[in-house]
Amino acid sequence: MANIIVAQNLTLSYERDEEIIQNASFVIEKGDFVFITGPSGSGKSTLLKSFYGNIKPQSGTLLMGGLNMSTIKKPKLQELRKHLGIIFQDYKLINEWNVERNVVLPLWIAGYSSEVQKTQAKRLLHHVKLSGKEHKYPLELSGGEQQRVGVARALSKNPFLILADEPTGNLDEYSSNVIWDLLENACQQLETTVVVVTHKIPSVFNIPYRHFTIDELGGIYEVH
Amino acid sequence: MRFIKSHISLIFPMVAILMGLEFFIAFDRTTKGYEESLKDSYAMLVVAKDEMSIDDFRAWDKHIYKVAEIEKSKIIDKVDLPFKSSNTLNIDKDMPNFYSIKLNKYLNNRELEEVKRNILKSDRVTRVETFDTLHNSNYGLFSSIKLAFQTFILFMTIIGFFLIIKQMEVWNFMHSERMKVMDIFGASLFLRSKALIIMAIIDAIISAIIASIVFYTIQNSWVKGNHIAILEDNISGLFSIDDLITLTFASIVIVLIAVFLVVINVKEE
Repeated sequence: MANIIVAQNLTLSYERDEEIIQNASFVIEKGDFVFITGPSGSGKSTLLKSFYGNIKPQSGTLLMGGLNMSTIKKPKLQELRKHLGIIFQDYKLINEWNVERNVVLPLWIAGYSSEVQKTQAKRLLHHVKLSGKEHKYPLELSGGEQQRVGVARALSKNPFLILADEPTGNLDEYSSNVIWDLLENACQQLETTVVVVTHKIPSVFNIPYRHFTIDELGGIYEVH
Repeated sequence: MRFIKSHISLIFPMVAILMGLEFFIAFDRTTKGYEESLKDSYAMLVVAKDEMSIDDFRAWDKHIYKVAEIEKSKIIDKVDLPFKSSNTLNIDKDMPNFYSIKLNKYLNNRELEEVKRNILKSDRVTRVETFDTLHNSNYGLFSSIKLAFQTFILFMTIIGFFLIIKQMEVWNFMHSERMKVMDIFGASLFLRSKALIIMAIIDAIISAIIASIVFYTIQNSWVKGNHIAILEDNISGLFSIDDLITLTFASIVIVLIAVFLVVINVKEE
């Protein structure tokens, strides 16, 4: 199995702040479905941000797809991000763009033709059960529907890794289950590695997963 | 409505700045012509004991570019003397030499006095007449008009720049979220700011066209109808098609700097 994320004695902190993650060491492999849990303020989101280069390691090593995140330059980071699918609790959709444009954002950034973008948008929106809503704007959709757009966007370029920060944090139970199903499918059918930061692991989860937890001191442990 | 408002809020200050720039270019061009005519109609009078050449004068002051000797006979003709006919030859011999001096540019009072002092340094020169009263009144009027225009242009430009800074804040508010999301998904700086760049360039071109139309209208209706001496003689110099290119270029440079400042200030959360 290929290593997707490798952390060795990883320490993360914001400038002038105290260390949030301390000496974390773990390996996440291709096809893993990983939950990262922990109390509020423990650094779950900070850890996820370090995976897409929003925050650089203070010390230790973090390798993402073989790239060292401590020394990575902006062009290489942009290239890495093009191959990631990222899902946010607050969706981070572009409100002045319609659903179709939001979904194909990663394809547009990668320079795919408009025909490919259109075909892919149709397929993905069907996959997330939003067919017919291509021309709606995010603010015309419910929270659950917006998050499904977020998931479709994350899947649009067949990423090798999906990072999800509290993807169901703002959703009701029904919408949450739809999102978990979509992520399970991505992991199982496409062999995409999925890392989800969450407060609570869903009670019903149909595929094997790994569970990391962060304690109050910033240490990371694998539960099972 | 929001779309129109967002465009007008950039076009308005850009037009103000471009009008200021075009005022500066046009005024400089038209007043140069007027300055030239003032210079051509102005001459100093120098009285010298000996005959002098243009090189003598040029050696004294660099502003002197043309020297014409005034024929003594013409001066004697203008002087009404009872003994004139019998003694013309003797008077001619004893008379000093008179020279009319043209300068290479229209000088201010201080510079004019300096030219006078430089010429008087020579023992051969007995008198220099600068006709400074006439010169001063022409120069004073001209300078005050020029200063008033330049002050107006300066204030217009400052206000324009303040409005652009305001617009940059609006752009930051409107576009930063989109740019941040695009950054997360790996978009390059150009791709992130493409929409803003295109919008800003379109607005810059529209602003340049509006400013040009205003000046074209001023040239063809207002100045022609109002008989303003300084401008009327040089009306063709008020606005030229080359100015449209200059204004478009200046306008695009200003908006691109503004866009660049907005884009580099968008930081990831």
